[in-house]
Amino acid sequence: MTKEELISKLKTIITPYVENKDALGDITEETDFIKDLEINSANLVDVVLDVEDEFGIEIDNDAMEKMLTIKASVAIIQDKLAI
Amino acid sequence: MIGNDIVDLRLAAIQSDWRRSGWLQKIFTLQERERIITAIYPDQMVWKLWSMKEAVYKAHQRRFFLKPKYNPRDYVCLDDMVTIDSYVYHTQTEVSKNYIHTIAQAIPTRKFRSQISMTKQVAARSILLSYLYTKGITDITFVKNEVNIPCIMRNNKKIDFQFSITHHGAFSAFVIES
Repeated sequence: MTKEELISKLKTIITPYVENKDALGDITEETDFIKDLEINSANLVDVVLDVEDEFGIEIDNDAMEKMLTIKASVAIIQDKLAI
Repeated sequence: MIGNDIVDLRLAAIQSDWRRSGWLQKIFTLQERERIITAIYPDQMVWKLWSMKEAVYKAHQRRFFLKPKYNPRDYVCLDDMVTIDSYVYHTQTEVSKNYIHTIAQAIPTRKFRSQISMTKQVAARSILLSYLYTKGITDITFVKNEVNIPCIMRNNKKIDFQFSITHHGAFSAFVIES
Protein backbone atom coordinates (compact mmCIF):
# COMPACT_ATOMS: atom_id res chain seq x y z
CA MET A 1 0.00 0.00 0.00
CA THR A 2 1.39 3.40 -0.93
CA LYS A 3 1.55 6.23 1.55
CA GLU A 4 -1.10 8.11 -0.45
CA GLU A 5 -3.50 5.14 -0.27
CA LEU A 6 -2.85 4.88 3.43
CA ILE A 7 -3.54 8.58 4.03
CA SER A 8 -6.73 8.35 2.01
CA LYS A 9 -7.95 5.36 4.08
CA LEU A 10 -7.02 7.22 7.25
CA LYS A 11 -8.95 10.26 6.08
CA THR A 12 -12.06 8.13 5.60
CA ILE A 13 -11.64 6.75 9.11
CA ILE A 14 -11.27 10.10 10.86
CA THR A 15 -13.93 12.02 8.90
CA PRO A 16 -16.93 11.08 11.11
CA TYR A 17 -15.10 12.36 14.21
CA VAL A 18 -13.90 15.67 12.75
CA GLU A 19 -15.59 18.74 14.27
CA ASN A 20 -13.84 21.25 12.05
CA LYS A 21 -15.11 19.95 8.71
CA ASP A 22 -13.57 22.93 6.87
CA ALA A 23 -10.11 21.62 7.70
CA LEU A 24 -10.83 18.29 5.97
CA GLY A 25 -10.12 19.84 2.60
CA ASP A 26 -6.49 20.64 3.31
CA ILE A 27 -5.23 17.63 5.17
CA THR A 28 -1.47 17.22 5.02
CA GLU A 29 0.91 14.92 6.88
CA GLU A 30 1.35 17.65 9.49
CA THR A 31 -2.37 17.84 10.29
CA ASP A 32 -3.01 17.49 14.01
CA PHE A 33 -6.16 15.57 14.99
CA ILE A 34 -7.03 17.71 18.00
CA LYS A 35 -5.54 21.10 17.15
CA ASP A 36 -6.48 21.28 13.46
CA LEU A 37 -9.40 18.89 13.02
CA GLU A 38 -10.85 19.42 16.50
CA ILE A 39 -11.49 15.74 17.03
CA ASN A 40 -12.79 15.25 20.56
CA SER A 41 -10.10 13.56 22.66
CA ALA A 42 -12.48 10.77 23.70
CA ASN A 43 -13.04 10.02 20.00
CA LEU A 44 -9.32 9.42 19.40
CA VAL A 45 -9.92 5.98 20.92
CA ASP A 46 -12.45 5.34 18.17
CA VAL A 47 -9.90 6.40 15.56
CA VAL A 48 -7.41 3.93 17.08
CA LEU A 49 -10.00 1.12 17.15
CA ASP A 50 -11.13 1.86 13.57
CA VAL A 51 -7.51 1.81 12.39
CA GLU A 52 -7.03 -1.57 14.10
CA ASP A 53 -10.12 -2.97 12.35
CA GLU A 54 -9.35 -1.49 8.94
CA PHE A 55 -5.72 -2.62 8.79
CA GLY A 56 -5.95 -5.76 10.94
CA ILE A 57 -3.25 -4.52 13.29
CA GLU A 58 -2.97 -4.04 17.03
CA ILE A 59 -2.10 -0.63 18.35
CA ASP A 60 -0.46 -0.92 21.74
CA ASN A 61 -0.21 1.81 24.37
CA ASP A 62 3.19 3.03 23.20
CA ALA A 63 1.93 3.49 19.66
CA MET A 64 -1.38 4.99 20.72
CA GLU A 65 0.23 7.78 22.70
CA LYS A 66 1.80 9.11 19.49
CA MET A 67 -1.32 8.92 17.31
CA LEU A 68 -2.08 12.63 17.30
CA THR A 69 -1.20 13.54 13.72
CA ILE A 70 -1.58 12.08 10.23
CA LYS A 71 2.19 11.67 9.99
CA ALA A 72 2.56 9.75 13.25
CA SER A 73 -0.43 7.54 12.44
CA VAL A 74 0.92 6.67 8.99
CA ALA A 75 4.30 5.76 10.51
CA ILE A 76 2.62 3.54 13.11
CA ILE A 77 0.41 1.75 10.57
CA GLN A 78 3.36 1.20 8.21
CA ASP A 79 5.43 -0.11 11.08
CA LYS A 80 2.74 -2.56 12.26
CA LEU A 81 1.99 -3.75 8.70
CA ALA A 82 5.66 -4.49 8.09
CA ILE A 83 5.81 -7.12 10.85
CA MET B 1 -0.57 23.50 39.20
CA ILE B 2 -4.17 23.14 38.16
CA GLY B 3 -6.32 21.61 35.41
CA ASN B 4 -10.00 21.15 34.70
CA ASP B 5 -12.24 19.24 32.34
CA ILE B 6 -15.93 19.33 31.57
CA VAL B 7 -18.03 16.65 29.88
CA ASP B 8 -21.42 17.45 28.39
CA LEU B 9 -23.18 14.19 29.22
CA ARG B 10 -25.80 14.48 26.51
CA LEU B 11 -23.18 15.08 23.84
CA ALA B 12 -20.90 12.36 25.22
CA ALA B 13 -23.74 9.84 24.88
CA ILE B 14 -24.03 10.73 21.19
CA GLN B 15 -20.31 11.09 20.44
CA SER B 16 -18.94 8.01 22.13
CA ASP B 17 -20.09 4.43 22.38
CA TRP B 18 -18.00 3.34 25.36
CA ARG B 19 -19.56 -0.12 25.20
CA ARG B 20 -17.82 -0.68 21.89
CA SER B 21 -15.46 -3.64 22.05
CA GLY B 22 -11.97 -2.56 23.14
CA TRP B 23 -12.95 1.02 24.00
CA LEU B 24 -12.69 0.80 27.79
CA GLN B 25 -9.52 -1.30 27.61
CA LYS B 26 -7.67 1.40 25.67
CA ILE B 27 -8.38 4.07 28.28
CA PHE B 28 -8.93 2.45 31.65
CA THR B 29 -6.94 0.13 33.89
CA LEU B 30 -8.47 -3.13 35.07
CA GLN B 31 -9.37 -1.59 38.45
CA GLU B 32 -10.99 1.39 36.77
CA ARG B 33 -13.00 -0.90 34.49
CA GLU B 34 -14.22 -2.77 37.53
CA ARG B 35 -15.27 0.52 39.09
CA ILE B 36 -17.24 1.28 35.93
CA ILE B 37 -19.01 -2.03 35.50
CA THR B 38 -19.96 -2.28 39.18
CA ALA B 39 -21.19 1.32 39.35
CA ILE B 40 -24.87 2.04 39.77
CA TYR B 41 -24.62 4.49 36.87
CA PRO B 42 -21.85 3.15 34.61
CA ASP B 43 -22.21 6.00 32.08
CA GLN B 44 -21.63 8.54 34.80
CA MET B 45 -18.61 6.63 36.10
CA VAL B 46 -17.04 6.39 32.63
CA TRP B 47 -17.17 10.15 32.21
CA LYS B 48 -16.20 10.89 35.78
CA LEU B 49 -13.00 8.84 35.47
CA TRP B 50 -12.38 10.26 31.99
CA SER B 51 -12.71 13.85 33.21
CA MET B 52 -10.37 13.07 36.15
CA LYS B 53 -7.76 11.79 33.71
CA GLU B 54 -8.19 14.76 31.39
CA ALA B 55 -8.06 17.37 34.16
CA VAL B 56 -4.89 15.81 35.56
CA TYR B 57 -3.38 15.49 32.07
CA LYS B 58 -3.83 19.25 31.62
CA ALA B 59 -2.28 20.10 35.00
CA HIS B 60 0.60 17.69 34.41
CA GLN B 61 1.31 18.94 30.87
CA ARG B 62 1.38 22.53 32.09
CA ARG B 63 3.53 21.67 35.09
CA PHE B 64 6.27 19.97 33.09
CA PHE B 65 5.82 21.70 29.76
CA LEU B 66 5.13 18.41 28.05
CA LYS B 67 4.39 17.79 24.41
CA PRO B 68 0.88 16.48 23.63
CA LYS B 69 0.59 12.77 24.18
CA TYR B 70 -2.39 10.41 24.06
CA ASN B 71 -1.86 8.20 27.06
CA PRO B 72 -5.06 8.19 29.14
CA ARG B 73 -4.34 4.75 30.57
CA ASP B 74 -1.13 6.00 32.21
CA TYR B 75 -3.25 8.28 34.39
CA VAL B 76 -4.43 5.97 37.13
CA CYS B 77 -7.50 6.88 39.19
CA LEU B 78 -7.60 5.77 42.81
CA ASP B 79 -10.62 7.13 44.66
CA ASP B 80 -10.32 10.85 43.99
CA MET B 81 -6.61 10.80 43.37
CA VAL B 82 -4.85 10.30 40.06
CA THR B 83 -1.27 9.21 39.65
CA ILE B 84 0.93 9.65 36.61
CA ASP B 85 4.42 8.19 36.75
CA SER B 86 5.46 9.04 40.31
CA TYR B 87 3.26 12.14 40.66
CA VAL B 88 0.01 12.37 42.58
CA TYR B 89 -2.84 14.79 41.86
CA HIS B 90 -5.98 15.48 43.86
CA THR B 91 -9.28 15.90 42.10
CA GLN B 92 -12.75 17.22 42.90
CA THR B 93 -15.59 16.19 40.63
CA GLU B 94 -19.01 17.74 40.40
CA VAL B 95 -21.56 15.39 38.91
CA SER B 96 -24.80 16.96 37.74
CA LYS B 97 -27.59 15.72 35.53
CA ASN B 98 -26.15 17.41 32.44
CA TYR B 99 -22.43 17.64 32.98
CA ILE B 100 -19.43 16.31 34.88
CA HIS B 101 -16.72 18.76 35.85
CA THR B 102 -13.40 17.83 37.43
CA ILE B 103 -10.74 20.11 38.91
CA ALA B 104 -7.29 18.62 39.47
CA GLN B 105 -4.51 20.08 41.61
CA ALA B 106 -0.99 19.07 42.43
CA ILE B 107 -1.22 20.88 45.77
CA PRO B 108 -4.78 20.52 47.08
CA THR B 109 -4.43 23.27 49.71
CA ARG B 110 -4.08 26.01 47.06
CA LYS B 111 -7.19 28.13 46.76
CA PHE B 112 -8.86 28.40 43.40
CA ARG B 113 -11.82 29.97 41.68
CA SER B 114 -13.88 28.07 39.17
CA GLN B 115 -16.93 28.88 37.09
CA ILE B 116 -19.09 26.90 34.70
CA SER B 117 -21.24 28.47 32.04
CA MET B 118 -23.70 27.17 29.52
CA THR B 119 -22.36 28.71 26.36
CA LYS B 120 -20.68 27.63 23.19
CA GLN B 121 -16.92 27.19 22.79
CA VAL B 122 -14.59 30.24 22.86
CA ALA B 123 -16.68 31.50 25.79
CA ALA B 124 -14.51 29.71 28.35
CA ARG B 125 -11.95 32.41 27.62
CA SER B 126 -14.49 35.22 27.86
CA ILE B 127 -15.81 34.12 31.22
CA LEU B 128 -12.25 33.94 32.53
CA LEU B 129 -11.59 37.40 31.06
CA SER B 130 -14.63 38.87 32.80
CA TYR B 131 -13.60 37.24 36.06
CA LEU B 132 -10.12 38.76 35.80
CA TYR B 133 -11.71 42.11 34.91
CA THR B 134 -13.63 42.08 38.20
CA LYS B 135 -10.26 41.62 39.91
CA GLY B 136 -8.94 44.71 38.14
CA ILE B 137 -6.83 42.71 35.71
CA THR B 138 -7.37 44.06 32.21
CA ASP B 139 -5.57 44.31 28.86
CA ILE B 140 -4.94 40.63 28.62
CA THR B 141 -4.60 38.33 25.67
CA PHE B 142 -4.38 34.58 25.41
CA VAL B 143 -1.56 32.89 23.58
CA LYS B 144 -0.60 29.29 23.17
CA ASN B 145 2.95 28.32 23.96
CA GLU B 146 5.10 25.98 21.88
CA VAL B 147 3.51 22.89 23.38
CA ASN B 148 0.01 24.25 22.75
CA ILE B 149 -0.78 25.19 26.35
CA PRO B 150 -2.72 28.46 26.73
CA CYS B 151 -1.01 31.29 28.63
CA ILE B 152 -2.12 34.80 29.64
CA MET B 153 -0.17 37.81 28.34
CA ARG B 154 -0.36 41.37 29.65
CA ASN B 155 1.59 44.18 27.99
CA ASN B 156 3.48 41.56 26.01
CA LYS B 157 4.61 39.84 29.16
CA LYS B 158 3.54 36.39 30.20
CA ILE B 159 1.81 36.44 33.58
CA ASP B 160 2.28 33.47 35.77
CA PHE B 161 -1.37 32.60 36.36
CA GLN B 162 -2.12 28.97 36.89
CA PHE B 163 -5.35 28.38 35.06
CA SER B 164 -7.14 25.96 32.79
CA ILE B 165 -10.08 26.31 30.44
CA THR B 166 -12.34 23.62 29.05
CA HIS B 167 -15.40 23.27 26.87
CA HIS B 168 -17.54 20.44 25.59
CA GLY B 169 -20.90 20.73 23.88
CA ALA B 170 -23.10 23.22 25.70
CA PHE B 171 -20.69 23.81 28.59
CA SER B 172 -17.59 25.86 29.26
CA ALA B 173 -15.59 26.21 32.45
CA PHE B 174 -12.40 27.65 33.83
CA VAL B 175 -10.39 27.28 36.98
CA ILE B 176 -7.71 29.66 38.21
CA GLU B 177 -5.49 29.44 41.27
CA SER B 178 -5.79 32.57 43.41
